[in-house]
Amino acid sequence: MWGRRRVRRMTGPSGVGIGWRPEIAGFVAELPGLRFVEVVAEGVPASGPLPTGLTQLRERAVTVVPHGVRLSLGGAEPVDPARVAHLAAVAQRLDAPLVSEHIAFVRAGGLEAGHLLPLPRSREAVDAVCANVARAQAELPVPIALEPIAALVDWPDDELDEADFLTEILDRTGALLLLDVANVHANARNRGVDPLALLDRLPLERVAYAHVAGGAEHGGFYHDTHTDPVPTAVLELVGALCARRRPPALLLERDGHYPPAADLRAELDALAAAAGFPAVT
Amino acid sequence: MTGEPDGDSTPTPRAGLAERQAELVAALVAGGPPPPGFAPGPLAATRAALLRKRAGEVARHWPLLAAGLGARWSTTFAEWAARRPTAGSLRDGWDLARALHAQHALPPAAAEELAVREARLRYDGLRAPRPRRAPAVGRAGGAVAVQIAGRVRLLRPAPRVSTLAGDAVADAAGS
Repeated sequence: MWGRRRVRRMTGPSGVGIGWRPEIAGFVAELPGLRFVEVVAEGVPASGPLPTGLTQLRERAVTVVPHGVRLSLGGAEPVDPARVAHLAAVAQRLDAPLVSEHIAFVRAGGLEAGHLLPLPRSREAVDAVCANVARAQAELPVPIALEPIAALVDWPDDELDEADFLTEILDRTGALLLLDVANVHANARNRGVDPLALLDRLPLERVAYAHVAGGAEHGGFYHDTHTDPVPTAVLELVGALCARRRPPALLLERDGHYPPAADLRAELDALAAAAGFPAVT
Repeated sequence: MTGEPDGDSTPTPRAGLAERQAELVAALVAGGPPPPGFAPGPLAATRAALLRKRAGEVARHWPLLAAGLGARWSTTFAEWAARRPTAGSLRDGWDLARALHAQHALPPAAAEELAVREARLRYDGLRAPRPRRAPAVGRAGGAVAVQIAGRVRLLRPAPRVSTLAGDAVADAAGS
């Protein structure tokens, strides 16, 4: 049985990690140098048995960060207290040093969008996000890191640019930043702007860890699919980020069309090399 | 930690943002009109991306449905789901499987998957499926499954009318 008291809470994510998913639990379990994984919070039960792979990782003192995808912190309505309670319970039972969620909304008017949707970059939206983050922070046992999303569509009436919008939210909530390098690439590519200009203006000292994922071009857009290889441009952006200020940890997200283990290992190695972290494979 | 809003004293109703978020979601998942000012191309790309994501999640809950349809899975799901907001992956797949069954278009492996689910759970098409207490028989496309005391067995497989390549081995199961 998993002995909660025997495992000390980790100080924070470090080095190269990978998103734990049931489909690749066996692969993840065999990574000798792994110190950090992330798990989709809604997929972890608040009570009852944990997925066995996760229990084993905790026994190895691997840091497990619950990553919420359904809180809808950017929704105009108050965040659902039951969803916050679940995230808090999962953080507690995994002895997580922090949790993470998105600056996005996933439902409105009684309809589920099914995925993360962007907010207008307006004062009103900043107020809505900050109020919801404060509601969550009041119940969470650990700090929260907020992740800016990749958006294919922009609202017509943005008042703030992305850097000001994000910085305002982080300043007002005191939250950490989960910077998704692939999202930075995707947004810059789809809006026709320079990704380095955004990196230069974000509070990189607030980054708790960074995400890296694969994607693909189709229909004239770059799609952050998490089911394709990590493009060279994203790895180069990892290098550019680390040259400015290296985040404490980098996490590879893969959510489907899982490649052979050797390919996934090569992606983890490439990520470690781009950031100057030790290989975990 | 500066100027942290107080969750209790913050006025919660933000009609402007709430209404506009609802309009955007309705346009993306329920066939609603495009909200004013949004560029149509990015809106269409977002709609398609949401459908792909949703198809992947339904495929994880209904692997034989997705695998049975093989290369047709993505378009079959997208056509069915385009104007239907999600009711969750379990119910989405169930509703689609029943719709295909009604059109005699459910592949054999998917019929077996549906029969097993029908025997295990009671689903009225409106609310979350619930475990059946009494013994039950599930039927779909010639497949028959029986559930007694919570244990489900496929009594009769669905007939294979022809040897459709890829029926059980297609790689579209989303895993």
